[in-house]
Amino acid sequence: MIQRVARDSDVLAGGVLAALGVYILVQATRWEYMGFDGPGPGFFPFWYGLAIVILSLWLVVGRLFRLRRESPGAVDWPGVRRALGTWALFALSVAVMPWLGFVLSFALLTFVLVRWQFGQGLKTAAFTAVGLAVGFYVLFPLALDVPLPAGRLGF
Amino acid sequence: MEVLAGLAYGFGIALQPMNLLWCLLGCVLGTLVGIMPGLGPAAAIAMLMPISFNMDPTGGIIMLAGIYYGAKYGGSTTSILLNIPGEASSVASCIDGYQMAKRGRAGAALGIAAIASFVAGTFGVVLLTLVAPPIARFALSFSSPEYFALLSLGLALVVLFAGESPIKAALAMLLGLWFTSIGIDLFSAQARFTFGQTALLNGIDFMIVAIGVFAVAEVLGSVQARTDAQLLSVPRGIRNLLPNWEELKACRFALVNGSITGFLVGVLPGAGSSISSFIAYAFEKLFSKHPERFGQGAPEGLAAPEAANNADTSGALVPMLTLGLPGGGTTAILLSALVLWGLKPGPMLMQDSPNVFWGLVASMYIGNLMLLLLNLPLVPLFAQALRIPAYVLFPMILGISVVGVFGVAQSIFHVGLLAGFGLLGYAMARLGFPGAPLILGFVLGDGMERALRQSLQMSGGDLGILVSRPIAAGLLVAAVLVLIMPLVGRFNRWRLRGIAENG
Amino acid sequence: MKRRGFLVGAAALTVLSGVGPAEAQYTPSRPIDLVVHSGPGAGPDAFGRALIAAIEAEKISPVRIQINHKIGGGGATAASYIIEKKGDTNTIGLFTSAWIANPLVQADMKATVKEMTPVVRLVIEPAVFAVRADSPYKSMQEIVDAAKKDPTKIKQSGGSPLARDAIVRHVLMSNTGARWAFVSFPTGSERIAALLGGHVDMMIIEPSEAGELIRGGQMRALAQVSDKRLSTFPNTPTLREAGFNVPNVPQARGFVAPPDTPREVIAFYEQLFEKLVKSPTWQKYLTDNQFEDAFLKSEETGKFFDQYSDLMRGILTGAGIRVVR
Repeated sequence: MIQRVARDSDVLAGGVLAALGVYILVQATRWEYMGFDGPGPGFFPFWYGLAIVILSLWLVVGRLFRLRRESPGAVDWPGVRRALGTWALFALSVAVMPWLGFVLSFALLTFVLVRWQFGQGLKTAAFTAVGLAVGFYVLFPLALDVPLPAGRLGF
Repeated sequence: MEVLAGLAYGFGIALQPMNLLWCLLGCVLGTLVGIMPGLGPAAAIAMLMPISFNMDPTGGIIMLAGIYYGAKYGGSTTSILLNIPGEASSVASCIDGYQMAKRGRAGAALGIAAIASFVAGTFGVVLLTLVAPPIARFALSFSSPEYFALLSLGLALVVLFAGESPIKAALAMLLGLWFTSIGIDLFSAQARFTFGQTALLNGIDFMIVAIGVFAVAEVLGSVQARTDAQLLSVPRGIRNLLPNWEELKACRFALVNGSITGFLVGVLPGAGSSISSFIAYAFEKLFSKHPERFGQGAPEGLAAPEAANNADTSGALVPMLTLGLPGGGTTAILLSALVLWGLKPGPMLMQDSPNVFWGLVASMYIGNLMLLLLNLPLVPLFAQALRIPAYVLFPMILGISVVGVFGVAQSIFHVGLLAGFGLLGYAMARLGFPGAPLILGFVLGDGMERALRQSLQMSGGDLGILVSRPIAAGLLVAAVLVLIMPLVGRFNRWRLRGIAENG
Repeated sequence: MKRRGFLVGAAALTVLSGVGPAEAQYTPSRPIDLVVHSGPGAGPDAFGRALIAAIEAEKISPVRIQINHKIGGGGATAASYIIEKKGDTNTIGLFTSAWIANPLVQADMKATVKEMTPVVRLVIEPAVFAVRADSPYKSMQEIVDAAKKDPTKIKQSGGSPLARDAIVRHVLMSNTGARWAFVSFPTGSERIAALLGGHVDMMIIEPSEAGELIRGGQMRALAQVSDKRLSTFPNTPTLREAGFNVPNVPQARGFVAPPDTPREVIAFYEQLFEKLVKSPTWQKYLTDNQFEDAFLKSEETGKFFDQYSDLMRGILTGAGIRVVR
């Protein structure tokens, strides 16, 4: 039972949100609530922080009551792993952008995604990566004058 | 009669060949700007200002205004096809527009967006022509307490965005309130929730949250579901590229609602077009006979926000042309263009420079027609974009998202935030939290906090100011009703079930 | 943002015939980046564009000048960018009073003008106290008296607590002992709308914004926030003339360069802006927008930074705002 409660997504989400709500409340009480010229910076966060705490606890408690009746649906773990892997690659490509620049890191991201996440051939992956990166470079900075993050190489 | 004479005079100016050409150029550029995320109308107008100084002011303002309202037409394209809002004003169009595209109605969605834009754009110009001065006076009677009440109504409408769980929708909205209060507080210069990051002092741009929670999260969700071959089904045959009669009929009320809501909210200085489109969407759902279809690709759920963000343009021009008060970034730069031409925007503009005022107004009738004729033939062309295989499309969406965010924020740090919001959006979808309320809370929350604190500054801390003013009180009552109505429905269902079980 | 593509035609290179004699050893070889802290359309951006337009019209720069937006942090992003650009002679930043005032209270704003190399001060923006045209108050004294009688009666619309309008209010309140409410709005439009709608009683407004509203019979000026009367408001007294013995809080704009910029580079910019200031195009721009010509060279600009910081520090402390620098 306890394991099932701890693994339940609503309980988990409610717990995280309640913690966030408490953090907001703690911060808000450090700032002025009502000052010389009217409500201070702590005024509004106090109220929505309180609302987050109350609603997230409500979510958790409501879920606990229903938990006996409903069993949680199965989670598509391979799918979730795929999605999180894609996200990690995307985040990594953003992280290296200050050094490699948009064009290079985007080409690398595309290559890896097409080759391994989508299981396409090496040639297709390379072609897509180069094609998209060049396309972005021609369209945005060259034709439309929209800047892209530049790396140490100057583009 | 004075209006008709003025309008006739205006058409005389707007129909001059050179001015027609400037109008067309502005509309074409505006459409392009709208389609491209990361290139907003304000930046585009700023770029073209030096060129327009060599033109006469009337032609110049006709062209620059064309970019302004043209961008609203183009903004929906990427919302519908890729779930990436092209402009802040087309975020609400993602919700049902993208769902329509997923169901193979991309062409129809693009067509409805163009038609709704045209109808509301024209309606807005008619109102601008007829009622500009009185409506500007009405807008002035609207101050912080009324804003607070309006935005409370907007947030109350969140319950309508809720999927299965109103609690989760409310929590998502509150999360939006938190994100929007990050940055320096206007009233006290206190930095809030910035974690010592200088890059967060100015807060997070709305586009970053919207693109992350919608576009990036959608890519992650699709990767999980492994929709390998084709993300969206490609419509076949010309008939499937256009909206059918049923869909158009469903949009009738949405066009009227969007036009009026968009115009009225647009007139208020300080309320942007993202607000008007969300409020029009919520109204549409509130009064719909089939609220359950919203979020599943309801055509009226696309038509309402598209109509609103186009009517909003004309609304926003009212305070700018009658009082010299710009309502947002784009109108502010239009205003500075007028100043640099040596014109004097303000209450006397209509008398001092009737050629500019009436020429501009007349050109907007022509421009809206041009935009319709320009955008409808583009529909089949854009629908072809759907043939792109998923393994190209997904990296492309990620790339466009990065360009869009970098375009508004000019910093890699904020691109990193985009990745964060993408993950958040994905996690929310997995855990059954709807994304739209978070966006709505983010859009409305900032203004709501400000309006509440301004009201209390005006009243010396007395909350009574919120109910002692008739417009504010009326709006607040409406907000309470919106919150109570579904509860009453729920209670009735519960009671009936109880009776059935016992009886 | 670098502007190329279809804009190249507009921003044609203007080539100068000789920068000047002896002193100007340095001449830039690439376009100059002019860093502003606002997005397109907002105050600093509009000012920067007008300045570039004037420089191009007068053909006084050997290279092209382009706007580079470093938006965010109330000027902090742009300021730290200037510090980062140490050693770059092609980057200058358009400072406003916010660059000096905001770091005084924001611990996170570590980039101060003190570390940068001052280039020039260009203008001071005056302001006027305005009321709605049908307001019962005919002078500053009447408003202050009404506020003294009932501290909840008078309301002023304005911006952030560090903005000039809030500072002037504090100075006046501590000078007269009167009290009135201050309602913050993020944009000028909203401040004006609140006044015209009758939701507040007065505001401090730039003459370029107020001019048309006054001419259109919507607004009235009571007093000027400047050292001497402006040509457009010959009959409106300055605060001092109206009997308030308060220090003037100038709102200045000018340029700074990255830290430790060599003297000859600064000399080049000084000469460039000196030529600009003397040009008829610029003078017309100043008159149209009611800016006060307040040209100072590098050394005096540095002194101005110190004086202004001290003045603000004193006022902010007096207003109960915590000063961190």
